[in-house]
Amino acid sequence: MAGDADVKRRIKSVENTRQITRTMELVATSKLKKASDRVQAARPYADALQEIVGGLYSPALSEKYPILRRPKEVSRAAVVLLTANRGLCGGFNSNLIKQARNLMEDLRAQGIETELHIAGKKGVAYFRFRGEEITTEKADVGDSPTVDDAEAIIAPVRERFENGQVDAVYLVSSKFKSAMSTPPHTRDLLPISGDENASPADVYILSPSGDMILEQILPVYIRNAVYTALVENAAAEQGARRSAMKSATDNAGDVLEHLTRTYNRARQAQITQEIAEIVGGSAALE
Amino acid sequence: MASLLHVRVVSPERIVFEGEASAIVAPAWDGKVGILPGHAPMLSLIGSGELTLDRSGGGSEDFHVVGGVLKVERDMVTLLTEYAGDGPPTEASDPEVMMVDRID
Repeated sequence: MAGDADVKRRIKSVENTRQITRTMELVATSKLKKASDRVQAARPYADALQEIVGGLYSPALSEKYPILRRPKEVSRAAVVLLTANRGLCGGFNSNLIKQARNLMEDLRAQGIETELHIAGKKGVAYFRFRGEEITTEKADVGDSPTVDDAEAIIAPVRERFENGQVDAVYLVSSKFKSAMSTPPHTRDLLPISGDENASPADVYILSPSGDMILEQILPVYIRNAVYTALVENAAAEQGARRSAMKSATDNAGDVLEHLTRTYNRARQAQITQEIAEIVGGSAALE
Repeated sequence: MASLLHVRVVSPERIVFEGEASAIVAPAWDGKVGILPGHAPMLSLIGSGELTLDRSGGGSEDFHVVGGVLKVERDMVTLLTEYAGDGPPTEASDPEVMMVDRID
């Protein structure tokens, strides 16, 4: 029967697909482990830095350092978007892109100009296709992002903020709550929103001085926020890919079961018919 | 005085060292700074150079650190640094080298 061969071929092809998605799931699982270890390992530094900056910061300093300036009116904002370089990770990239688009629409509705800084091929490809102007882009951040990657992404943005070319900077990336939950998230990067309360740093011996420490440490603080986001994003990507590939594998299993049943039924029908023909033939001879 | 310093050396990627020390000598921005238990609270910029931790049981540990900030508070010493390793960074700016460093 012609249908038979067809079904058989489809079974083979779905089996192959399942093999591939399962492998990708396993690869993502192992990468996820490493990536989430990196997220954990990056936390102590971020926490300690936050504490130090929080202790030194006071709103009065905003006059002195361009990086601390607090624009009264925001006329232009930078959106820094972190996406993955690769697809096959479910809605991961499209969720991030949607989040960035919504943010940009909101800002534009308030009469604020926007500009885009993108890391990750998927985001770059999307916005280029849409004809959006991309101010800076970086597409070579790997599975294990480095501090230098973060610096390369944020340095031009920081400079533009200090020069007054942009008045606010937003960072759009995925939060890594768990391997299953990786919602897109917008963070206000600049201007720095410090604690308005009195600084507890008074009790410290400050060497050389609070201002100078702050001047050194603030760029590091901003960069580290991006680094943390990169690391979380990388872990979130693997988590999303694992879920996507797991459901693809499961779906392939379902399809396979259905096809196998169809195939067996067809085969059985054929055999039954052959027997009926033989029985019919011998009955006619008697 | 029996008390010890609790020291943490932290780089952006990981905690490089965490443990007790009886004294530390760190490369501050303007020269070496020594810290003993009971030190007043302090925040200081770090330059680059050797960080020496004297272990309570004798012996010491050395790290090479590059830039960052040092915080002392109630015998808790936190050193945040851009880089910490056994030797000076071969080429700290080279991502390849840093990646290899991280894998180890």
